[in-house]
Amino acid sequence: MRSLLIGMTGWLIAAAAVTASDQVAEADTPSFRRDVMPVFFRAGCNAGSCHGAASGKDGFMLSLFGYDPKGDYHRTVNEMVGRRVNTAIPEQSLLLLKSTGDVTHTGGKLFDEDSEYYQTLYRWIAAGAPDDSDSVPETVEVILSKQRFLFEEKGAKDRLRVGAVANDGSKRLVTSLARFHSNNESVATIDDNGNVTAVGPGDTYVFARYSRFTIGAEVIVLPPAEGFQWPDPPATNYIDELVFDRLQKLRITPSELCDDETFLRRVTLDLAGRTPTVEEYEAFVNGDRDRTAKIDELLADDEFADLWTALWAEQLRIVGGNYAPAATHVKAAMSFYEWIRKQMRSGRPLNEFVEEMVVASGSNLTNGPANLYTMMVHGPRFEPKAFAADFSQVFLGVQIQCAECHNHPFDRWTQDDYYSFVSFFAGMKRKPGVEPRERRIFYDTSTPPMKHVVDQRPMPARVLGGIEPVSSDGDPRKELARWLTSPDNEMFSRNIANRIWAQLLGTGIVEPVDDIRVSNPPVNGPLLDALSKRLVESGFDLRTLVRDICNSRVYQLSIQPNASNYGDTRQFSHAHLRRLRADVLLDSVATATGMNASFPGFANGTRAINYFPIVGGDTGGPNYGTPFFKTFGRSSRATVCACETNTQPTLSQTLHLAVGETVQKRLWAGGEIKKLVASKDTPEQILDELFVRALSRQPTQDEIAALVEAVGESKNDPSVYEDIFWGLFNSTEFSFNH
Amino acid sequence: MSNLNRSSDAPNRHGCTGFRSMMNRRAAIQAGVCGGLGLSLGDMFRLQSQGGDAFSMTQGKTLKDPKALSVIQLHLGGGVPQHESFDPKPESPVEYRGAFGVTKTNTGEIFSENFPATAAVADKLTVIRSMVGKIPDHATATYHLFTGYTPTAVIDFPQMGAIVSHELGKRGELPPYVAIPNNHSFAGGTGFLSSTHGPFELNADPAERNYKVKDFSIPERVSMQRFDRRKTAREIVEQKIRSLEADPTTLDTMDDFYQQAYTLLTSQESQAAFALDGETEETFELYGRDVVGLKGPDNRFHPKGLAEKMIVARRLVESGVRFVTVTYGSWDSHVDVQRDCLDQMPALDHAISGLITDLDRRGLLDTTIFWVTSEFGRTPKINNTSGRDHWARNYSMLVAGGGFSPGLIYGASDSIGGEPARDAVPLENLMHTIYHQLGIDANKELLAFGTRPIEIIKDGKLLKGLLS
Repeated sequence: MRSLLIGMTGWLIAAAAVTASDQVAEADTPSFRRDVMPVFFRAGCNAGSCHGAASGKDGFMLSLFGYDPKGDYHRTVNEMVGRRVNTAIPEQSLLLLKSTGDVTHTGGKLFDEDSEYYQTLYRWIAAGAPDDSDSVPETVEVILSKQRFLFEEKGAKDRLRVGAVANDGSKRLVTSLARFHSNNESVATIDDNGNVTAVGPGDTYVFARYSRFTIGAEVIVLPPAEGFQWPDPPATNYIDELVFDRLQKLRITPSELCDDETFLRRVTLDLAGRTPTVEEYEAFVNGDRDRTAKIDELLADDEFADLWTALWAEQLRIVGGNYAPAATHVKAAMSFYEWIRKQMRSGRPLNEFVEEMVVASGSNLTNGPANLYTMMVHGPRFEPKAFAADFSQVFLGVQIQCAECHNHPFDRWTQDDYYSFVSFFAGMKRKPGVEPRERRIFYDTSTPPMKHVVDQRPMPARVLGGIEPVSSDGDPRKELARWLTSPDNEMFSRNIANRIWAQLLGTGIVEPVDDIRVSNPPVNGPLLDALSKRLVESGFDLRTLVRDICNSRVYQLSIQPNASNYGDTRQFSHAHLRRLRADVLLDSVATATGMNASFPGFANGTRAINYFPIVGGDTGGPNYGTPFFKTFGRSSRATVCACETNTQPTLSQTLHLAVGETVQKRLWAGGEIKKLVASKDTPEQILDELFVRALSRQPTQDEIAALVEAVGESKNDPSVYEDIFWGLFNSTEFSFNH
Repeated sequence: MSNLNRSSDAPNRHGCTGFRSMMNRRAAIQAGVCGGLGLSLGDMFRLQSQGGDAFSMTQGKTLKDPKALSVIQLHLGGGVPQHESFDPKPESPVEYRGAFGVTKTNTGEIFSENFPATAAVADKLTVIRSMVGKIPDHATATYHLFTGYTPTAVIDFPQMGAIVSHELGKRGELPPYVAIPNNHSFAGGTGFLSSTHGPFELNADPAERNYKVKDFSIPERVSMQRFDRRKTAREIVEQKIRSLEADPTTLDTMDDFYQQAYTLLTSQESQAAFALDGETEETFELYGRDVVGLKGPDNRFHPKGLAEKMIVARRLVESGVRFVTVTYGSWDSHVDVQRDCLDQMPALDHAISGLITDLDRRGLLDTTIFWVTSEFGRTPKINNTSGRDHWARNYSMLVAGGGFSPGLIYGASDSIGGEPARDAVPLENLMHTIYHQLGIDANKELLAFGTRPIEIIKDGKLLKGLLS
């Protein structure tokens, strides 16, 4: 592939030198598929807002971005004979009159009569508007004249040219037929002719779309070199090397290392899902402050496994119900949840963990992993299409559902890919078990594969990106699991690595983490490659990757920006304020006050992180469990979308922390405040402990001075310290990781 | 949709399964903001916390001359039967017209006999008898009603209240968008707009004896002196993170929320707007507080609690809230539609007429749009369990105030109430017209994911015939 690209680039430049325009002169009759449909695409005729809409526009429908050439030919030529295409008097064809605005057209004028687009359509119609179903080579690859643009200053320009390779090996320039867009127009713009212009410092991608392909080129616009001096910070491991390499190229100076107190709080929140206890704080700060040892200690604790169990349970939408036909009885939910917890605690390789779920069959009550097929899509019946879409979103980070109705407009997935993939699950069934709550999950090997929505072809099970269908003994899931979790399947390992990174750094290298597609490239490709490779080499060991990331200098950077990285949000040059997840927030309030929450259906003292929603009936979403989780945006498990977990602040959250019961009833810390006031001599000592409890740090001199003044004469009154405790819980420092 | 009428889950007196669970449809909220075009969630958050201004494009011009300031939307979830409410068909066969007779309105038209009080104020309201929805499924249709769009896998559209909040902002101290008692679970949310535009939910029922908005008052044992000390403590602690100069927009957003919270908690006007204090006995009666329907399972009559909700809605609008939603009842009458009507319509009738009368005499009717909605209507023919099923092809809605033409019956259905006979009104057109009255151009495009322009209402038309 790489060598082909280089070769093609040379060819493109040569071709451009020969012809003034990119249009390759053609003496032959234009072909419908090869020449006419690209005009529809380029002019926007078959876009979703025009004739590509599901029901067309103003009576004329084209398939969205041309996924159905046969149907498009019929509708263009035969649906209204002599109107849209008039082969006797070509210039009277509505196709031409509308496009040039000569008759009223809702979409307005699209091109002139002397444009190449008009000429292509005209010559095709004049030749009798021939169809060319099987005779036309299909485009199999689209290539760009440049992979990367590096601009030194604003306003600099360059040009992107686009080539298409057909399955007969023929190549041609299609720049004038491609559509272009930029992922971030504040960095660089691209116009209809492929001209790229630098707008402001940063990095982004520009994309060309042609046929069913989207392909991107990186654009970097550098800030001024004056005043930039790479500080050459020490690199702890490969992560630092790759991030710093990128930052140096972009002329961004990373922040300094965060202090020990901040590190302790950050890593405890990220690995244990709660703030550090006073004891943990004392042990670390008064000990040798060994960060690596702290990370190992946290990784070895069950709380780490519990946190990852919760993250998986959220993704896999575990909700316990009490409505037998949905097969999601609370007993099934418990069995699934405990199975996951066991895998996380024992350090089961993540690929094996996933594989066991994918091939699982049997009782939902006794075989935990089989509940993948009852929980991920809730409903009384198994729905293969919905399941396949969620499956690829969770395990591959890829959203294929667009391709149910049309080829994915911004990714490589076609309807063929989609329906072949759904066929892996076509035979999944449930039958009643021996007791009312039980459902037995099995694959009905007599089920035919899915049919293609356009032409009803049977689409046997085929892996994403595969060419041939898999061979199987009737249940194709074994082949699916083998492919999915294979060390060779980068889609899988990159997805898992990216999700682990996002959990620890706040944003993924691809973001959103569950929308990996050609048009949403990683912000640091080599970093994602390296993490993915490391994950595979470690035998898909979660803890190895987490350990690497947490030990990196990048993870341990301060939130305090400098003049150079102030505006950076995507390259990990400094830490970011991240509001705590709802469950982590609640567990942190509980840790700081020593007062746990209680949840219906769970044992007293259960931590929020170990709680999943239990409902009285059906388990279709949304289910938050408790009002606190709803207010603070815990995943409602209505969908598998990563966006279900919402950490945006709202007014209701503020009101709840300010006067709601969660904080109010815990301000006395179960009597600890009173004891504290009685046992300490000075307000300063009390403040020290309150700060460590809530914020895991000592108060500053300024804070002590100001707060002692606020305490005033009432220095023996516990309620005064409760008020200060309130101030700590309501601070941004408390509800955010920083 | 297809699984609405599963044999194992036949619709019963409490509605079909889809309605009972209130949550059987994953499609309604699927995908959310995930489908963006290369804009990270971090970017989204940054854009959003900048007051959301970055999201609005000025392609459409905002009208300068709003006719109305506020909307009260009374939503009757489940699908109210048009025959038993505002579009009776007394001359059709009994299996179509149902069990009820008609009552004459003060404008000489007829309503179902279930609405005598509303008929007496018909000269102050507008009935549209030719509404056209899209899909007779609770989740999809409710989402459509609240957002103007049917759900898609890629874009989550914002609710009308969120858009009003985004476009018009606050008027006074109170949040611009309030849901009584809660956001409807099928109704979507703020979609691609910032969460700051979401409905402020009471999470409490004004008809309860100890009614109190959740998390809305300073605990009794906390004196103002202590509350001030708490505020001071927070300000002191906030200084350190401020000094790092990391992410000031997030810190500003948090400070802004705290300032709003302090105002709401300590302002007597704000507190009073959510309460029922000072309302006279006559007002409660006007709204039908004591009106009951059928006896409950305990063989006793129970008030429906709608009057109190409507009074709070009026008080909120008086205090500057832009958009209030009130939800009432359970209208998915697959079984025994007559019973559901007898039980729930008397209180509804009084609440509608009470609010219109009250707004009118307070001089608020001109500037307040009162909108009675349901996600769809019900089938023209009574089914074999004496109920009516889902019907989106034709139904009725009621609008009053805010410049809508009083006393008007707009459009008509055919002889059995099954299809529009004239002046069909797609939902989008009515929503476009309501936006227009608020001074919002519904053709304006908002930017989803920072890059993708989305019209407030797609393909809506202004219905001049509805306006006075």
